[in-house]
Amino acid sequence: MDKFVFSNIEREMATYGYDAVVKSHCRMCHGGCGVLVYTKNKKVAKIAGDPNCPINHGTLCSKGIASAQLAYHPDRLTRPVKRIGPKGSGKWEPISWNEALDTIAERILNYKDDFGAESIVMGYGTGRENEAVIYRFANLLGTPNVITAGHFCYGPRIATSIITCGTNPIADYENHPKCIMVWGNNLVISNPDCYKGEPFSVSLDAGAKLIAVDPRLTRIAARADIWLQLRPGTDTALALGMLNVIVNEKLYDRDFVENHVYGWDPFVKRINEYSLERVEKITLVPKEKIINAARLFATTNPAAIQWGVAIEQQVNCADNNRTLMALMGITGNIDVPGGQVLFQAPKIRNVGHFGAHRMLSDVQREKRLGGDRFRLAHNFAITNPKCVWDAVLEETPYPVKMLFLISSNPLMSRGNAREVYRALKKVDFMAVSDFFITPTAELADIVLPASTWLEMDYIGDFWKRHGYILPRRKVIQVGECRSDHEMLNDLAHRVGQGEHWWDNFELALDWILEPMGIKWRDFEKMEYIRGEVEYQKYKTKGFSTPTRKFELYSTLLEQWGYDPLPQYREPPESPISTPELHKKYPYTLITGARSPGFFHSENRQIPWLRELHPDPVVEIHPETAKKEGITQGDWVVIESPRGKVKQRAKLFAGMAPEIVAAQHAWWFPEKKDPGHGWDESNINILTDNAYEACDPAMGATHVRTLLCKIYPENKNGGDL
Amino acid sequence: MKQYSLVIDHESCWGCKTCEVACKQEHRATDNVKLISLWEDGPKMVDGKLEFMFKINVCRHCDDPPCAEACPEEAIQKREDGIVVMNYELCTGCQSCIGVCPYDAIDFDEKRNIAQKCNLCHNRVDQGLFPACADNICLAHCIYFGDSEEIDQNLTKRKRTTWPHPETVSKTG
Repeated sequence: MDKFVFSNIEREMATYGYDAVVKSHCRMCHGGCGVLVYTKNKKVAKIAGDPNCPINHGTLCSKGIASAQLAYHPDRLTRPVKRIGPKGSGKWEPISWNEALDTIAERILNYKDDFGAESIVMGYGTGRENEAVIYRFANLLGTPNVITAGHFCYGPRIATSIITCGTNPIADYENHPKCIMVWGNNLVISNPDCYKGEPFSVSLDAGAKLIAVDPRLTRIAARADIWLQLRPGTDTALALGMLNVIVNEKLYDRDFVENHVYGWDPFVKRINEYSLERVEKITLVPKEKIINAARLFATTNPAAIQWGVAIEQQVNCADNNRTLMALMGITGNIDVPGGQVLFQAPKIRNVGHFGAHRMLSDVQREKRLGGDRFRLAHNFAITNPKCVWDAVLEETPYPVKMLFLISSNPLMSRGNAREVYRALKKVDFMAVSDFFITPTAELADIVLPASTWLEMDYIGDFWKRHGYILPRRKVIQVGECRSDHEMLNDLAHRVGQGEHWWDNFELALDWILEPMGIKWRDFEKMEYIRGEVEYQKYKTKGFSTPTRKFELYSTLLEQWGYDPLPQYREPPESPISTPELHKKYPYTLITGARSPGFFHSENRQIPWLRELHPDPVVEIHPETAKKEGITQGDWVVIESPRGKVKQRAKLFAGMAPEIVAAQHAWWFPEKKDPGHGWDESNINILTDNAYEACDPAMGATHVRTLLCKIYPENKNGGDL
Repeated sequence: MKQYSLVIDHESCWGCKTCEVACKQEHRATDNVKLISLWEDGPKMVDGKLEFMFKINVCRHCDDPPCAEACPEEAIQKREDGIVVMNYELCTGCQSCIGVCPYDAIDFDEKRNIAQKCNLCHNRVDQGLFPACADNICLAHCIYFGDSEEIDQNLTKRKRTTWPHPETVSKTG
């Protein structure tokens, strides 16, 4: 077997006659893996993982491999277009970049003069590493309104971790935790944020104990030593119950608690309000299991919690995160090898600096939509999207006249999609930058063709908290597509921000790297740069919080008028909070379990990925299906008080019979009408975005659990 | 002579389907034709516990391949190194092989009117390259290529607990 070597570049080149291989950094999701891009006749011919990359160690996912099918897709937008018919008519005409950017610039300047900069809202979705450049543009323009997924995805981890311990604690798989608690997460499918499935898998192979917290059976849950199958939306209560065990059995790290936490006594008082009997009643997890899991987690060191977005898209968003951090903290797992490390970035100009947040005046900052209501979000420059839809539709507290959505498809991915549709339909002017004319882009006035990761130079993982940056190197050019970074750098000059920008975006990369004494041309030759790795920094420096302690009791939340201690809130819609509604809608709908190949609303048009999942799928317990007259593969109507959509039934016994699990963000690019089926299977037709249903501090929209009824599509007038 | 095959550690498989897409990238099989495919086994109750696994279905390169026996065109041959290769040039689309495969591992490409199966990337193996699905792409490290007996014996040993770190590590910040 000696002749076989993984990722044998020389033999690949010789065997297939490739012209070149370029090392780069994938961006098909929120992750970012090192890749080898082989080209032939100057086109991408093969994509493989880079074995030298410390993030993915040569492995890859389906999305990364299929990137060339995205770049060369026949439906790809390759020139700017302007709409020539009514909104949603699907009539477009190609225009030059100059005309497109001049038109957008003129609108921006006019709205700013007539209605104030705050009437212009910038937006991105999960962000294609364009987050900092979009914030820079918005802040320099003077608008405090940037709508992103940040109110209910990753933003909460950043906001709550900064107020608790100074930065996001990252599970340290490099040093192999001996116990891993996976909380509402399926990282082996999603490879999210700072985490990849590969190092997690290796830590398990190295013998880590595994605890899974999930209402639905994943393979992780099936492989776990303990599976806590909680009632959807009750995560905070479960975490408080585990904390109760750890505190009362004195399983916590005494030195850490005595010397490094703030608010221990009130915290203990609060968790004692959550007796195991109460927690069992709320979560439906037997208390013996809670005890066993708490003991295993607290007594197996080092231990790490794998956490993510699912618990953030809930009314308990901030407190879900805070209780998990409390678990990490009091068990002594913060900033230790194999635990949860507060990694340091390389010494470059960071995203906050690049984002020019300090350039936004206090007067403009105070105008942030929803800033007075969602004050944790406000302090991290995050806007709840409903505030923007209301400002478009009702013009309160002031009118929003322009949306500029860059890599965002809110029609598919934000709560209460019908309201989103009304707002996008009504807004005076909308520009979009994306790969395709998506259902959202169909409602725009101008759509700009954005570059994929294969078509740009950039500092990959610039924004992350795992301590690495990696070069993303441009491999190809497709049509007239431009990166969002270059596009905004150009537009900035056209709206009078030129002095704060650069002649070309490579100079911006030089500026970011400057403190390290290198330029992009140096960095692009490197494998990666890692920040200094140092553990238990709090012992000498304290935590970067107002008290310099790990704040179990948040002094900042208290200052902003919130309960400084975590508490459990029942989901806004549930058998317990809305029993009358429950009679009509007898099932608890959970949404958004991840599917290999898709990234939210993306990739439904990529052949290799779509064939992994041809149709939207709703999982229904076999007993429930039988009761409702549903068989495997039937189109099923899922209905909530807000509306109904259809997905195909998959019978799945891995959850309680009263739970129904639907996929999110489905549209049908193959449908050539301008709607592309946006409201046929889109689960956000069913979700609620009312302010009262959002996390009171973070403004996270509660889209993960709601009540529904289900029936076969063809049953008595059941057709959509 | 070594007898090559793929050995799959199903216990470790997460169902990420990267192998399916890696195979597509290598062989460009027609849409919806799969030479390697994933299926869900369960959930089912076993001894009071819900079991749920992903299983990968792919040609087993049988010792006495019934598909080779069944093919009237002699399009399927077992090589000395154990790889069972289907020659698509010779396939007439009669589908006899599909009916006799005990593992349901042969697909049919209606567009090209030929049977399709995993040929264990013999084109790559002959050049000293790992099959596409086994070339360290799997994030669970659950697909192994080589002599099946050797792999079975060493599977637990082969589990990775360290990473090969690059020699060309850049300076830290």
